[in-house]
Amino acid sequence: MEGIDELKIFDDNLIKELRQIEDKIQYWDIRAGISTGASLDFTDQKSKEISSFNISECGIRTFVNGGWGFTVLKEITKKSIKNGFIKAIKLAKLSESLCKDKFKIRERDPLIKKFKISNKKKLEDISIEEKIERVKFHEKIASNYSSDIKNTRTFYVDGQSHNIFLNSFGSSIYQDLTVIRLFNLVFAQKNGILQRAVNSIGGLGGFEIIDTEEANNLSNKTASEAIQLLDAKSPVGGKFTVIMDPKLTGTFIHEAFGHACEADIVLNKESILEGRLGEKVAGEDINILDNPTMGQGKKFSIPYELYGSYFIDDEGIPSQKTVIIEKGILKSYLHSIETSSRMDFPPNGHGRATSNSSRPQVRMGITILEPKDWNLEEMIESTQNGILCEDFQYGYCDPSTGNFQFKCKMSYKIENGEKKELMRDVSLSGMTLEVLNRISAIGKDISYSDGMCGKGGQSVRVCDGGPYIRAEDITVGGLN
Amino acid sequence: MDNKVDVYSLAKYGLNLAERSNSNLRCAEIFFGKNKYINIEIEENSIKNSEIGSDFGVSIRVIDKRGSLGFAFTNNLDKKSIEKMITIAIKMMMAGTEDLDFKNLPEKYNKYPSVKGLFDSNLKNLQIEDSIKYAKDLIKICNEDEMAISQSANFISNYSEKYIFNTNGIEINGNETSCTISSNIIVKDKIRKEISSGSDWQSKRSLKEINSVKTAKNALEDAKRNLNRIKIKNMKVPLILTPKGTIRFILSPIASAVNGETFQYKRSFLVGKRNEIIGSNYLNIDDNALIDGLSGSAQFDGEGVPCKNKKIIENGKFLQLIHNSYTAGKEGIESTGNASRSSYSSLPAIGVSNFILKNGDYTKDEIIKDVKEGIILDYTGDSPNIATGDFSGLILHGNIVKNGEIKESLNETMFGINLLDLFKNIDAVSKEFNIYGGYQAPFVRIKEVRIIGSAN
Repeated sequence: MEGIDELKIFDDNLIKELRQIEDKIQYWDIRAGISTGASLDFTDQKSKEISSFNISECGIRTFVNGGWGFTVLKEITKKSIKNGFIKAIKLAKLSESLCKDKFKIRERDPLIKKFKISNKKKLEDISIEEKIERVKFHEKIASNYSSDIKNTRTFYVDGQSHNIFLNSFGSSIYQDLTVIRLFNLVFAQKNGILQRAVNSIGGLGGFEIIDTEEANNLSNKTASEAIQLLDAKSPVGGKFTVIMDPKLTGTFIHEAFGHACEADIVLNKESILEGRLGEKVAGEDINILDNPTMGQGKKFSIPYELYGSYFIDDEGIPSQKTVIIEKGILKSYLHSIETSSRMDFPPNGHGRATSNSSRPQVRMGITILEPKDWNLEEMIESTQNGILCEDFQYGYCDPSTGNFQFKCKMSYKIENGEKKELMRDVSLSGMTLEVLNRISAIGKDISYSDGMCGKGGQSVRVCDGGPYIRAEDITVGGLN
Repeated sequence: MDNKVDVYSLAKYGLNLAERSNSNLRCAEIFFGKNKYINIEIEENSIKNSEIGSDFGVSIRVIDKRGSLGFAFTNNLDKKSIEKMITIAIKMMMAGTEDLDFKNLPEKYNKYPSVKGLFDSNLKNLQIEDSIKYAKDLIKICNEDEMAISQSANFISNYSEKYIFNTNGIEINGNETSCTISSNIIVKDKIRKEISSGSDWQSKRSLKEINSVKTAKNALEDAKRNLNRIKIKNMKVPLILTPKGTIRFILSPIASAVNGETFQYKRSFLVGKRNEIIGSNYLNIDDNALIDGLSGSAQFDGEGVPCKNKKIIENGKFLQLIHNSYTAGKEGIESTGNASRSSYSSLPAIGVSNFILKNGDYTKDEIIKDVKEGIILDYTGDSPNIATGDFSGLILHGNIVKNGEIKESLNETMFGINLLDLFKNIDAVSKEFNIYGGYQAPFVRIKEVRIIGSAN
């Protein structure tokens, strides 16, 4: 296997030696990698942090009859890997001796492959000065946008990693990945009112990620939003017809619904969707899928890979399109190799970890509500008393009850079919499955947003999205 | 192999190299962090994963005469990697902008306070086989309860060492241990077919203080309290915060709002309120790093500055901020010893030590007994907006209080308030308190808040 020097120790000899000591272990995998990167943090056009890192990490996982063992080390040498492997075997046996549900990991065909993210503008060719210039560019635009802008922050982070994945099925996968993310945060203040807006852009690829028109417009957009929000009104609480924009649709699908589809949460009896495969859980027009495969940038006319995409998950399973809801019927959960083995389904590539030093969990990738035929104008025109909500600040949901809440970024009142004044801090809440059955219109054009999703102390890259959708009878809360 | 790393000679070599390689360098700091941990994970109320891990890394922070900062970190501890990191950090420093607000890294201190109980050799030497009994205790509580159907939980023990060196003469090191147990239990009311979850956690410095039975019992009670959910109508009633609620609505927001950096950027709702009354007489908060054995205690902070005890709010009057050396320098004062650094991979931020809301005279029962109609709030997924102090969010774990008794739990219920109104309306604080990590929180009662229900 080719690749950088530090990972050359993972040769046939080492694998042979590991096979000799694998001793009653039914499954094992090893993930190791070297990552380097830079981050730039500017506030009010001044650098607060310019930093660089070089980190090596290795995680060795072993399995026997329902018990897992895991060792994490930073040294990548043949000796340390062998020691770590022996320790991990002991740990798996310890877990096995105490775990109550015995099961096996289903054997898979080995995957021997090399993956590389294509870079149009290679990160290693971009000097630190060039990165700084780009950050300063956004800082300047945001700071000069208006005298009401009191505070700006731009944060750039990039990373390159070389990773190896080996498992007991004989898989041997090498990956070169590069990732970039750029954030812009603006605080505006007028007459004692303080408002903030934040936007980000991210993807897998080279410096071209922050070279698109959308990326160049990032700080202008953020500043404009913060300024507009200064004059926005606070909402009056009540029940309304709500039109969600693609970003908010994505947040709803991800937070309120997607987490409940994660098979580990289902097995832990924490999900509102437990035992409901094959049942109708949403309106007939609802189709939801998760598709983190590469090559989707084109769909959205961007020259790089979507932030939530991946070649393989962290268990060596290729990313793939999974239909979760088809015509309102729950078709599938998202799986790791453990949950798929236990629930007797093929794995679908959702065992993901923050890094090589964390254990994979069931996670989403790119979760999308599929479009239908409405356009936004029609939706607004046929709404008497409603709110058009664009973009979100944050959202959360209790997966065991389905009670969710989202805080929207920009919201507009709709009266008698017309879009009216801007409102801020509109919060939407309800019960997931009730709302999925109360969607009265689904738009035709889809868009998405990207972010980091947290679960069990880990966070992974994700995207979510969909078209504009309209939901009836949603509880809206505000300060008034 | 890492045990053989001589941090002292590497640090001296590194600082020397940094000083020699750039004549514009004003000061430099090298930070070594080492840790090892054990993690036992319970899923579906059964031991699922046993894990051990370790890391050892170094970071270098360099600042030039213009105040520009460069930072680099690695976990490769050979001389060559460190040389490379220093070169990169200096390059970063040279590329950065001028910062006149930077004064200096901390100067050498001759004396550090004595704080006991930060380290427990039983935890340092703990073997995973001996940790299992704590996990078994968690499982047992869930197994023995009829309504409990599942639990996910963790036992994590950690041992860490840190070493801080700077060109102003700081040269200090310390080691500490911690042990954290968390439990999330799912219960089912078989007749109503209602499911609910509850959680609790504890973090201690020594093994003998760990009580997993208590954590699991609390999680179980929490889950059961959250069954029997009903929708309510809008109302204006007293609100009782449980210790977790107190952390979310009082301690954690104030900890963020008195953070020197947040404050200096005017992103805090307390800006312009120094030395003013911001809450009732019951609002008394100390940030005390010097209590033996507590999670937030330390002798020195993430930059090697001695820690201390500070009065943040007294009888409702807001007295002072917490600082690291940068934000303190900007105000022309000494650092308060609140530079926080969870790992070698991050620059010092600002964080609280033990942030304590002083307990009051009432018992918890007295606080609840006086309420004819009200709400008790334990958990919301939301957090107040620190810049404005506004909160509006969903009550995820909360109950109705009727005639002094805790009744049904709440479904689809929101509430909104500005924190300053909340602080001013505190009319009782309990004697009993809970400690969660660096927060010490009693039960607190708020005279009146507006609750937004969803019952028509």
